[in-house]
Formats: sequence, structure tokens, C-alpha cells
Amino acid sequence: MPDLTKPTQAWTLTWDADWVTSVAFIGSTRKVAAGNNLGGILVWDLPEKPGGDAPKPTLRLDGHTNCVSKLAATPDGKTLLSASYDHTVRLWDTSAVPTGEDKIVLNAMAIADAERRKNNGAKAPPAMPATVGVVKASTAFDAHKEWVVNLDLTRDGKTVISGDDGGHVIIWDRESKAIQKRWQVKGWAYALALSSDKKQACVGERFPLVFDGGRHAAIKLWDTSTGEATKDLSAEFKGMHMAAAAYSLDGKVLAVGRGGESDGASGIVTLLDPANGKKIKALTPGHISGLTDLAFHPDGKHLASAGRDTVVRIWEVASGKLVSEVGKSRGGQFKDWIHAVSWSADGAWLAAADMAGAVNVWHFSK
Amino acid sequence: MNPFCRTGDHLSRRAFLKGAAVSGGGLVLPNWGGLAHAKTAAEIASKAKKRCILLWMNGGASQIDTFDMKPGRPTGGPFRPIQSKVTGLQVCEYLPKVAAVADKLAVIRSMQTHSPDHPDGIYHMHTCYKMSERTPHPELGAVIAKYNGDLGSDLPTFVRMGSCGNAGAGYLGPAHEPFSLGRDGKLGSFSTPYLADDAEKKRADLFRFVESEFAVDHKAEPFASHRTAKERAWRLLRAKAVFDISKEWPTAKERYGDSDFGRGCLMARKLVEAGVPFVEVGQENYDSHADNFVCHKANMQLLDPAYSGLLTDLSERGLLKDTLVIWMGEVGRTPGINNRAGRDHFIRAWTTVLAGGGIVGGQVYGATDADGKDVKENPVSEGDLFATIYKALGINHRAKHLTGVRPVWLTPEGSQPVKELLG
Repeated sequence: MPDLTKPTQAWTLTWDADWVTSVAFIGSTRKVAAGNNLGGILVWDLPEKPGGDAPKPTLRLDGHTNCVSKLAATPDGKTLLSASYDHTVRLWDTSAVPTGEDKIVLNAMAIADAERRKNNGAKAPPAMPATVGVVKASTAFDAHKEWVVNLDLTRDGKTVISGDDGGHVIIWDRESKAIQKRWQVKGWAYALALSSDKKQACVGERFPLVFDGGRHAAIKLWDTSTGEATKDLSAEFKGMHMAAAAYSLDGKVLAVGRGGESDGASGIVTLLDPANGKKIKALTPGHISGLTDLAFHPDGKHLASAGRDTVVRIWEVASGKLVSEVGKSRGGQFKDWIHAVSWSADGAWLAAADMAGAVNVWHFSK
Repeated sequence: MNPFCRTGDHLSRRAFLKGAAVSGGGLVLPNWGGLAHAKTAAEIASKAKKRCILLWMNGGASQIDTFDMKPGRPTGGPFRPIQSKVTGLQVCEYLPKVAAVADKLAVIRSMQTHSPDHPDGIYHMHTCYKMSERTPHPELGAVIAKYNGDLGSDLPTFVRMGSCGNAGAGYLGPAHEPFSLGRDGKLGSFSTPYLADDAEKKRADLFRFVESEFAVDHKAEPFASHRTAKERAWRLLRAKAVFDISKEWPTAKERYGDSDFGRGCLMARKLVEAGVPFVEVGQENYDSHADNFVCHKANMQLLDPAYSGLLTDLSERGLLKDTLVIWMGEVGRTPGINNRAGRDHFIRAWTTVLAGGGIVGGQVYGATDADGKDVKENPVSEGDLFATIYKALGINHRAKHLTGVRPVWLTPEGSQPVKELLG
């Protein structure tokens, strides 16, 4: 297995059209997809070994009209799912043949910014052009009527859970898009995860008012067959908005992380026993100003967390030990976020969606 | 005879018992007995001059995410515009009910102001003068209370709830200081007396006697303020029923939305209906330096039903034509989105909204450029806005007062009402 104590940065995949907000490796390949705040999705095919010039994207998936909040791929790599603020979840055939081609400049914003400041001596960087195949064909799951902020897939890739800012949580069959269960939480759905056996869901709830009696924060475990909450964990996390949740591959651990700008190193990961909701341990240090994403490593023993401090942390689940920090904290609060992280199927690669307009790719040698 | 009392003391005490009192400082205290049962309050209201409700967006709402959207621009953000009832006027998708009453709104998109932070911005947008001046300028509410209020009413003339102004009555004096309710419009705990009515009255009479004696040798403003405040509090208790929304709220919340701000807006309607000339209702925390869109989305889901509900309610009751409703905060927010997903303070080009009170609704006044970074036409200063407000309310915006021997005016020199808004 890869040595997770020694990350090396493989590439920074520049794409500065807007914030990069989501990322996912596709199946067992080294293809990685990233979504951005404008609704764009690019796909890169990473080389076998790290180093050298950063690879260019090969595909652009056109369809979303607003922020791509989450990406997930089926284990067989055949389908990519994208959740968006345009109220849809789109399903993309990853083997679809592009119907067209487009030339893009991956650092167009940096060039435009330098042009604006040229009187102050700013110099425009060399352009980073790329030619991408354009895929427009996708199908849409359109049962949501609000921003779809999160989604998760079962391990077999057959069942999807998605949640929105109307508080609607929907469990549906990926192939047929038939709704299997839906319920509405108080406030907006935020953190969202589905256990591998599909029997339990974890949903974070929020209504992020300040100084108003209507402010709401909760986190609950749900029986997916009945749509009823089985355990309310809110007392343990009083007032906290949970931004991310993830079940371990064996289903014995549920990780939740506090998000949504809060002071100090408050973006703490807490490990819970999903059978009874009891706290196992908290992983410290927390991310400065809030956590954004969680992803279990394919080995089942490690967990990655990302936050508003631009650092990714890798934890050993059993001991709670911090194994490594990937990247450097840029100081938090005024220094961008890592929006999302994804592991490759072999666990040797980690991709991080960087608000600064890039996908950072890290490699772990065996 | 009490050896500690003089003949004149007893005469004063009899005067108190008759319900009239004159303080040693010459302050004529309102006649306790002369006022305020419901019928009289209604009579007062019917003769009242125009009223004003200020919906205060504390922290500074983002104009680009509410009333001056920039879809498709780099500054636009993830919200999408929707068409309102007024052709050519689009508002945020999270203000659908406000969109439906847009024919009542005059949207001023070209505010250009001068105080960029909260304390100074709150002061400036409540007084139309900079905080740095030494003159204690009165808030909008105090001015309206003075000119359009009736000090003889049992109800206060300047009421506020939630986050609000920070200048008070300034040089207009304690009679026009604001009376504060809870964020949701509830009266404070003082409003529940712990004595029986006759015991409470005797207690009040004794207090007046003692205060009056004290005032003979202590002629200073704070003491006069204290006496004024106490008298007003007692009179308020007689009009306490106005503050009870418990019977109306179960149905009203369908219209106003079940929130503290919604309750505050309903309270504002009730108070202006009962003749209170100025009510301010604050909505919290638009200061979205981080998570701007999440913050505004949540806030707008409260604002939309409350604001539209208030306008509709006022209109249905025939009150809107004489009630000016102002929507504003202390600053706007930057077109640029920072790397905390936030927008920062911005005073170069932002939005306030007026409705009712004779304002010509269904219009947009002023414009900003494509990205909202500057005003393109018809800039409006704080002074111009206040001049417009005062004019709408029948108040001379250049009325002069004296602080000491120094003359001060309600608005700065050069301030002009915006004619297009007044029709």
C-alpha cells in the first residue's frame, strides 16, 4: 500500500475560470474530474508517474448552469455524477464520445488580472491553452427544487443519496432514477452520507441565521427504509453545522466534520459508532475556520479531511493519529479553501479542489 | 402636618393627585389622567401625520444579491434574478413575494455614501451626518417623532426592535429618545406589574412627589430625562394591549413568516396603526464577509415574507399611502467576492428601497455599471435620501435647530429631495 506519511506534490492542474469546488477520481483509472463554481466540469487523464509538466484536461462536460457542489463516480468508472446549485444531479457516461472541441485558456483570469494591473508593473504569465473535447450528453435527476449541495453513492454504485437547501433528502436508484425514499429535514441538508449497506444515512442540518431564534443546527442518523430519524446527535454537537460526513468502507465508523466558518481550529473531525451514535474520538488539530470535506482511503484504515485552511490532513482511523499533512496551510480565513478531496482507487493519488482555481494532485509512493 | 413639608409642598402634592405635575426644572410632565384609552388612541391615530417604518438590514445587505443583480458577470454570484411585477425590474430569486409587490417599491440603486464601517455607517445612515462631527445629531426616528408624533399619546413616538441606530435623540432631547422592544417585538419584563393597580398608582404618585422635590435643587438634564422616561413608561403600561400580537400571530405568521423579524414587522404595522409615527425593525447580520451567499439566502427567506407581508398588510388596511417604509442598511457590499466566499463593505454604489408614504412605486432610480462597481447615473447621497424621506413625511428637510447657540439643520447643505421618487 502507498506510504501515506510521505506525500509529494505531483502537479497543480490550473483552471482559474472560477473556484474549483469539487473533485473525483473516476473508477479505477487515473482520470480525475473537477467541477467549478460556474458549473463547468473538466476531466484530466493523469500520467502513470508524477512529475513533469502538468497534464492538460482532455474533456469538458457541459450542462450545468451553476456551481458544481459535488462529484462522485461509480466504482466501475462508467458513470460520473455531479450535483449542482442548478437544482439537478447530472449523470455522465464517462465513455461518451465528444461531439465537439473547444480551445480554452486555463489561466485566463490570471492573465486578465495582470493586464488590469500592468500599470503597476504586473506581468501577465504565459498562457496555458488546452484543447478539450466537449461532451454535452448527460441525463438529469431533477427531483430537487433547490441547490443540491451534497450527494453520496453506495459502494456498489447503484444507490444515490442527494440533499438540497430545501431540506429534501432523496434516495434514488442510479440507473432508473426511481426515488426509493425521500424525507425533509428541518432547515437545509448539509453533510450527507449513505452507509454501504444502504440502511442508514447521516444528514447534517442547518439554517445559518445569526442572532435569530430561527437559527438551526442538527445532525441525525436516519433509517433509510422508513425515512425516520433513529438517532439525534445534535446534543453532542450543539449549534454546529456539519459540512461533511463519510462512512468507513466496513461501515463501522462514521466520520463527521464541522464546517461553515467558525473561529479557530474548529473544523474538527469526530469519529462515531454508527450503530449507536456514540462518539469514538475527535481528531485534532481541527481545520482553521472550518472543515469542508472528508474521504476514507481505499485501504479502509485512513481518512482524509480538507478545510478552509488549504491543508489536507490524513488520519489513521484506529488510533486517531495524524499521519501527514498534505500541502501547507495558507493561514486560514483570508487564504482560500480546499473545497473537496478524492482518493484514486489504488490509494496512491489524492486530488484536492482548490478555491484558488486549481486541482492539486498529490502522490504517495509504495 | 408633617414638619418636614412646607405649605407649597402640599399644594404640589394635590396637583399630582389631580394628575398634573410641573417639575422644578420647568418640564411640564404629561397629564396622567388626560389620555389614552383605546378610543382616544384611535382618534389620535386618525389625526396623525405621516408615519414611517424603517426595516434596518444590520451589517449591510448585498445589493448585487437582492435588488441590483448582475447575472452572468464575474461579480454576479450564484443567485439568479426573477422578473418582478414591474416590467424591467428584476430581483433575486429568493425574494419572490417582494417581487410580487414591486409596484409599491422605489428601488434606489445609486446610493453613494461616505462612511464605510459599521459604527460610522450606522450613525450616518440614521442621521445623514458623519459620526465624526461633534454635534449630537438625532436619528431619523427622533426627528419623525418630534415632527409627526404626539407627546400626549400613551404610546411612545419612536419605537425600535432588533439591531438599530446608535445616535438616539441627539440634540432633540430625551423626549424623543427611542423606546426599545425585544427583537421579536416583545415588551420588556417591566411591563408586568407586581403590584395591584391602586397600589401601583399610589407608588407612582409618591415617586412624582419625591422627584419633584429633588428637582427643585437639581436642575439638570439627566434628572429631567429620568423623570420623562418614567412618566412615559407608566403611560405605556396603559397602552400595553397594543403590543400584544398573540391573538393575531397564528394567522399573521402565514403572511409574515414565522420568525423574529416577521413578528417585528407585524408589531410595526400595529404600532403605526395605533399612531406611533416611527418604528424601526432590525434584521440581523447581513455582514457577510464570509459565506455571503449562504448568509443572504437564509436572511432573504425571512425578509421576503416579512417585507412583502408588511407592505401588503399596510396596503389592505389603507395605511400604506401615509406610511413610508424604508429598506436599508449602513453599507452595501463589494461586487468582488473574496476568498472566504464573502463580500466586504462597499459604499460607492449600493441600494436602498422606499415604499408607501407618497413615494412613487414601481420604479428604479439610478443605475450602476455592468459589474456594480460604480454609479452610472443619478448618484444619491445620505443627505439626498434623508431629504427625500423628510419631504415624503411632510417635514422640512432644512429645518433648523439650535444646539447651544449653534444652528444645525436636519440635512447637510446641498441635500435635495429626489423629485422622481416623490411624484
